[in-house]
Amino acid sequence: MADVALNRSAESPRSAWFDGVFKAATWFFAVAILVILGAIIVSLLISALPAIGRFGFGFFVSTAWNPVKEDFGALPAIYGTLITSFFAMLIGIPVMFGVALYITELCPRWLKRPIGTMIELLAAIPSIIYGIWGLFVFAPWFQSGIEPWIIDTFGGIPLVGALFNAPPLGIGYFTAGLILAIMVLPFMASVTRDVFETVPTMLKESAYGIGATTWEVMWNIVLPTTRIGVIGAVMLGLGRALGETMAVTFVIGNAHQLNLPVLMPGTSISATLANEFAEATTVMYRSSLFYLGLILFVITFIVLAIAKTLLIRLQQRAGG
Amino acid sequence: MTALDMSSEPSRPPTHAANLAPKMDRAPAAKPVMPTKVELRDIKFYYKDFLAIKGVNLELRDKSVTAFIGPSGCGKSTLLRILNRIYELYPGQRATGEVLVDGQNILDPRVDLNLLRARIGMVFQKPTPFPMSIYDNVAFGIRLYERLSPSAMDERVESALRRAALWDEVKDKLRQSGMSLSGGQQQRLCIARAVAVKPEVLLLDEPASALDPISTQRIEELIDELKSDYCIAIVTHNMQQAARSSDYTAFMYLGEVIEFDETEAIFTHPKKRQTEDYITGRFG
Amino acid sequence: MSRRMSIAIALTVVLLVLALLSLWFESVAGAVVAGLLILWAWASALWERLPPYPRRRATNYVVLALSYGATGLGLMCLALILATLIWNGLGAVSLDFFTESTPASGNTGGGMLNAIYGSAVMTLVGTLVGSPIGILAGTFLAEYGRGNKIAPVIRFINDILLSAPSIIVGLFIYELIVLRTGHFSGWAGSAALAILVVPVVVRTTEDMLNLVPGSLREAAFALGTPKWRVIVTVTYRAAMQGMLTGVMLAVARISGETAPLLFTAVNNQFWTTNMNDWMPNLPVAIFQFALSPDANWQQLAWGGALLITVTILGLNILARVLTSGRSFGR
Repeated sequence: MADVALNRSAESPRSAWFDGVFKAATWFFAVAILVILGAIIVSLLISALPAIGRFGFGFFVSTAWNPVKEDFGALPAIYGTLITSFFAMLIGIPVMFGVALYITELCPRWLKRPIGTMIELLAAIPSIIYGIWGLFVFAPWFQSGIEPWIIDTFGGIPLVGALFNAPPLGIGYFTAGLILAIMVLPFMASVTRDVFETVPTMLKESAYGIGATTWEVMWNIVLPTTRIGVIGAVMLGLGRALGETMAVTFVIGNAHQLNLPVLMPGTSISATLANEFAEATTVMYRSSLFYLGLILFVITFIVLAIAKTLLIRLQQRAGG
Repeated sequence: MTALDMSSEPSRPPTHAANLAPKMDRAPAAKPVMPTKVELRDIKFYYKDFLAIKGVNLELRDKSVTAFIGPSGCGKSTLLRILNRIYELYPGQRATGEVLVDGQNILDPRVDLNLLRARIGMVFQKPTPFPMSIYDNVAFGIRLYERLSPSAMDERVESALRRAALWDEVKDKLRQSGMSLSGGQQQRLCIARAVAVKPEVLLLDEPASALDPISTQRIEELIDELKSDYCIAIVTHNMQQAARSSDYTAFMYLGEVIEFDETEAIFTHPKKRQTEDYITGRFG
Repeated sequence: MSRRMSIAIALTVVLLVLALLSLWFESVAGAVVAGLLILWAWASALWERLPPYPRRRATNYVVLALSYGATGLGLMCLALILATLIWNGLGAVSLDFFTESTPASGNTGGGMLNAIYGSAVMTLVGTLVGSPIGILAGTFLAEYGRGNKIAPVIRFINDILLSAPSIIVGLFIYELIVLRTGHFSGWAGSAALAILVVPVVVRTTEDMLNLVPGSLREAAFALGTPKWRVIVTVTYRAAMQGMLTGVMLAVARISGETAPLLFTAVNNQFWTTNMNDWMPNLPVAIFQFALSPDANWQQLAWGGALLITVTILGLNILARVLTSGRSFGR
């Protein structure tokens, strides 16, 4: 074994010094992510400062939007964002359940992968495609067929009818909500499917073994076990829906007002930003837009943070 | 210097455990007692606060095979992993005591871990070929320490593969991925990889447990050849394997070495009740 | 009387009143709907009267039917969208589409060459900048993150950034680069895309690295390999396929992003290779063209939409094919 001493140097292997450099580099770029987040918040704040100074919290409740008089209010945009997301969730959540249930329990084994792939392809289609499809295909169909029927049917009902009294334009809050639903649905369904699959097979099998139907297993075993994760999935979808730009911009009508009827056009925060940023020539106009952006970022951040926390908790429970 | 005799009970008559040991020729050639290569002094091991190894003292002799046997969870793999300090990859695990290799304590924090592991090689239970060609697998370790010309490297790779009894099977496909080999071949590749860096000690953690019987046999033959050059420590839950292949055996239970002696002695006249019970299969 | 029964009766009364009111206000359809609702309330009340087992079976069938329906709906939407794209976009795709730049409003002909080029370049730059950052950050989380206090925080924030509105990123880069340099540019657009690439690559890199079995790493360490070398020559190699797939998915993601480019690269009607200039790109071009009354522009928009969708779906399918046989969660 004498040649060992000859060939091998007394120092570490040739490149051990690089260890520190490499670790530092990975650490640096990992921390960079936190820096990016911080930078985004700071830059939004800085740009929004003039508007914050001028309008303060009144911004949230003002419906004004007058670039000439430089009077701006966020309420129409916030309302639009919230209501379109609300519709998206209203329609999306049941369908999400249906799809997740189908993939996990009903689907024949050979079909699971193709269908899963197709759902994820739906999720991969970019926002702008949904936008133009919504505007050129869905909206006209909606306008000619369904919308008049809705207006006739529900518009006449006292009280509630006011929500439906609008000219059939095809575009508007409801359409935007519908398109959003189709957009976030595949994503939510995927996450829900993953969540459902954390339930141990043995648990489900013992329920089936007693003679429970598929629905009963789902309702009594799977859902209670994964309740937290499902809420997390929904909130993840909500977070995405709140921030969606192009799909909404095309079909919401871009009327910068707060309209009550759900079939009326309106605007959302992201749609406002997309449409008006190029025309915002004054400092206050631009700053108000940044204020809107800040609000959107904060809302989505909170929703996504809650979602993530819930999903982590589910993971801990499932793993531990 | 040695303290192999740990008997505290009177010698017992040979039990039927002797039937487990292979029939040896009467009056076997007197085996030379090799010098001590590795000495463990008062080794304790902790998983967080849990004391897993409770104070072990023994020696591993050079150019011999020392086997560690015992039921699952007795700490034999843990003990083995102390010898190349691979446990330090995981926070919360620590060892106290001394491990003297040629007189030098390798548990000393000042010891360079990488150099240590080049001197003390390890082969794991599951074959772990790297995702690269067979040639690169073997050359991997060599390249860490030495800058060799291509022809010198070729020679080293070939000699390592020969040592691992793999050369004839792979010499035409050195550039193929290591993962294309069968399980037994992969394990021999791992052995070739380990011996390529010319270590002094080889640690084998249940090297054949994931393999079929024929591959197992080949590995055992390999170990028999390798022991003429290395100090080998092998962990195995296969008692027959320990009886066949090793020179010394340590029986462990619940983190302690219950008995440590020449293999023949352990299997024919175990001194402790527990040893006998384990060997005869009363528990395990 | 069961609770459902009483609910059904109460609902009937309320809805009858509503139905009458609707008729008063001349909405026949409203009355019909009210009638249907009454029917439904009674149906669910009577449901309870079914003997247990048939009732359970019936419930199950209803739910399963809805579930099939939901999935069918989803798949139908996908088919519908793809069909629309092909129907409307195929007509635009011709040799000119790929060789000519965008025409001025009111003209005929033209293509999307400059937009295609600009998108390709900005996607490339964005990926080249964002991927190494993402890979190294993901490596930190997977290889050095155990026991580390800051790693879970980074992971958390990263996953939030993953789903954050992309228009905000556009605003951020506008503030950071466009205002500083005084003009829109392809560089700004690439920077925005790079920021979108990072979280995707971090997540997939970390997931893929975590799939590499610990025994492989141990075997490398046992030879005396320094940690960085274990990571680069063994762990990366083992996870290479998955990591590349992650980059592919990131590319697919940013190819269709419009919002972040709106205030950074904007769009350019003319051909340019100057990254300091306003950079033409497919998504924003589609945005402008689709919303304009110009029929030629609209046609080109559909063609561009088809091209983007085919590219993205192709990348996604390719990524799935490459990782088939591997199990990896989200």
